[in-house]
Amino acid sequence: MDFTPSPAQQLLVATARDVLRRHYPIERAQALALDERGFDDTLWDQMAELGWPGLLVPPAFGGSGGSLLDVVLLVEEMGHACLAGPFITSAVVATSLIAAAGTPAQQKRVLPALAAGERIATLACLEESGAFDGDVALACDVPGRLHGRKLFVKDAHVAHDLLVAVRRGADLAVLLVPADRAGVTRLPLDTMSGEKLFEVAFDGVAVGSDDLLAPADAAAALASALEAGALARTAEMVGGAQRILDTVVEYAKTRVQGGRPIGGYQAIQHACADCVRDVDAARGLLHAAAWKASEGLPAAPDVALAKAYAGEACLAVARRGHQILGAIGYCEEHPLQLFHKRIQAASVDFGDAALHLETVARSIGLV
Amino acid sequence: MELALTAEERAFAEEVRRFLRAHPPETFPVEGVDAGYGSGAHSRAFLQALAAEGWLAMCWPKAYGGAERPMFFKLVLFEELALAGAPFGPLAGSWQTADAIIEYGSERLRREVLPAIARGEATFWQGYSEPGAGSDLLALTTEARRDGDDYVIRGHKIWSSHAGIASYGLVFARTSREARRSRGFSMFVVRNGTPGMDIRPIRSLTGDVYHHEVFLDDVRVPADLRLGPEGEGFVALLNGLDSDRFWGRFYKGPALARVLAQLVEHANTTVAHGAPLARDPVVRRRLASLAADIAALRLLFWRAACRMRDGAPITYETAMAKVLADETGQKLARLGMELLGMWGPLRRGSRGAKIGGELSHAYLTSLGHTIAGGTAEVLRTTVAVRGLGLPAEPRARAEAR
Ligand SMILES: Cc1cc2nc3c(=O)[nH]c(=O)nc-3n(C[C@H](O)[C@H](O)[C@H](O)COP(=O)(O)OP(=O)(O)OC[C@H]3O[C@@H](n4cnc5c(N)ncnc54)[C@H](O)[C@@H]3O)c2cc1C
Repeated sequence: MDFTPSPAQQLLVATARDVLRRHYPIERAQALALDERGFDDTLWDQMAELGWPGLLVPPAFGGSGGSLLDVVLLVEEMGHACLAGPFITSAVVATSLIAAAGTPAQQKRVLPALAAGERIATLACLEESGAFDGDVALACDVPGRLHGRKLFVKDAHVAHDLLVAVRRGADLAVLLVPADRAGVTRLPLDTMSGEKLFEVAFDGVAVGSDDLLAPADAAAALASALEAGALARTAEMVGGAQRILDTVVEYAKTRVQGGRPIGGYQAIQHACADCVRDVDAARGLLHAAAWKASEGLPAAPDVALAKAYAGEACLAVARRGHQILGAIGYCEEHPLQLFHKRIQAASVDFGDAALHLETVARSIGLV
Repeated sequence: MELALTAEERAFAEEVRRFLRAHPPETFPVEGVDAGYGSGAHSRAFLQALAAEGWLAMCWPKAYGGAERPMFFKLVLFEELALAGAPFGPLAGSWQTADAIIEYGSERLRREVLPAIARGEATFWQGYSEPGAGSDLLALTTEARRDGDDYVIRGHKIWSSHAGIASYGLVFARTSREARRSRGFSMFVVRNGTPGMDIRPIRSLTGDVYHHEVFLDDVRVPADLRLGPEGEGFVALLNGLDSDRFWGRFYKGPALARVLAQLVEHANTTVAHGAPLARDPVVRRRLASLAADIAALRLLFWRAACRMRDGAPITYETAMAKVLADETGQKLARLGMELLGMWGPLRRGSRGAKIGGELSHAYLTSLGHTIAGGTAEVLRTTVAVRGLGLPAEPRARAEAR
């Protein structure tokens, strides 16, 4: 048993912490949350230079062939910085999907550009139910024309490519289509976290057989991509909750009321103690699941456990954070609210607690 | 025991419902955001419509233009308005101010301010908290210095809700440095726009302006705008805070019942895995359990109301009920967000938002409720110390609130 990341991973984390601290202060995150586009091109280019978008791309296509555990450690830092943007969408979910099920031609065309951060791709999977349970109703003949809509497509406004999950006869299929193909419309949804979500409408979009991901691999690859997304968003929550913990403990030591720092009151001490427990416990499950996945061991129940646990635990940290900070945490100017909203968004993305606990329920033998 | 409204109270409730049918609440213009307490947005037009029915002054003495109706009529009105989601935001504050003016206000306050309240024109912001004085209110540093027939107020208030749109501030200030810590404070009714008063907006986590910071730079206030005897302001405020907890939360239960009904409707009409969400045993149980919470909450408030009506002492009852109201509201908003899943974070007015995007607003505003008007921590201490007679933590003074 050893919880220490490898030297390479430690370097990745230290670099991330340093770069994000210097180029992405919290004020930047707050400004971007209120910005319509909400995307920092300069920082994205810097991230690309550091090779982050290529972490899950095989070396043959210009990536570094890293592991999900590498990604998780990096995304924790991104969560700690409240980084906005398409890293998880594009560099984790879309990239792993194409790497697993793209045709050789698609991989050659798209993966090097994804690794270099020159292209951004996003997944269009959800429909009316908003559930990540694999139910896809949107049907499409290939070749043919696509009519219908997808919901909650993240970062569609900056995406060059869409990965659209469709039903083809009885089978699940995934299409890789350029976001600017005729008949595609992106309609923004207004979210409290400032995350950029879209309804994407397809109005007779022409689809050819070149657009299909390898049919035999698509369903399994989609499931793994959703799992990678769940892990990454769990890492984001844990990083955000850690930042909240840091913030409230510091505040509890310095805010004086009734003649002493509020951290001298047991009510506040207990709340802080619960926060550190929640963060540490959630991180333990996260690392265990990511480690298993990276070792090629079956990790679905572990990912489910980590996501469900962290969702509740990190939200509890955020809510306690509000309680500890008092009125100052209620204003937009204080970053707590943004971390809270991001954690909330992450807690339902790639499967909420209800969905993941069902996986856990099956894994513990419930009939 | 008689746990039902009287025939007159029921008839009044029916009268209010008739009024609401004739004046649909959603048709009134609003000036200020709904802070989620259950009293809706700040709408003068709506207050004035209530005033036109004669309801704003209905419980006041006849000498002040009232009809001397029993206090429970106010509660009946609150319940009906909250169930309908009406925008009566400032009403509780106006009524509390009116009660204080009737009890110990100057002739001038009675003459000038009471009629404006009765007409639905006057609303009030509370200028209590300061950057260094939150839970420990007595640490405040705003001073009111006597100068002839006036006071001159100097200081810095913060978190004053709706101060930018209200008519008067209730400014709590130190009037004597010599007095013991809990003495020497007075309350002033200061009209917005008085020279020297600078009100600056603070944006909240919902993105709306709700709070304000108020700088008082030698604001000159005639002595007869002091509310109550000089130096006795804290005692008045303490009583005020007990009733603040009551009047500021009484309508939360019915307002939550309204949200619960919306979630029930959502569960009944949303199909998940081939069956209505309402068939999911976990969903059923959690919604049903909240129905129990809300019912219990309503009874705690009515029980406290009976004590107030009968003149029985209030030690912990309103503090306890307030914390339960706020935590039940948080629990319901949390459940709502969970049931809505990916739809939950959509804001009011967003494309495709369910239940009008109300849940995300309710979720965010509910975070402030266990802080505003006494934090849940401090109020639990009040319940333990004042209600149950447990010893106070050493040096912990803030519990006095
Ligand atoms: C939505 C909202 C509306 C408001 N509206 C108004 C208004 O209109 N007018 C106005 O004057 N003020 C208003 N306030 C301010 C409110 O009264 C204060 O926020 C409240 O009194 C707490 O003070 P604080 O925020 O400074 O927190 P602090 O007092 O600094 O408390 C921080 C934390 O320490 C804890 N703590 C402090 N003292 C103790 C203790 N003795 N024992 C245990 N724990 C303790 C608190 O419980 C809290 O968790 C509003 C606040 C909110 C959130």
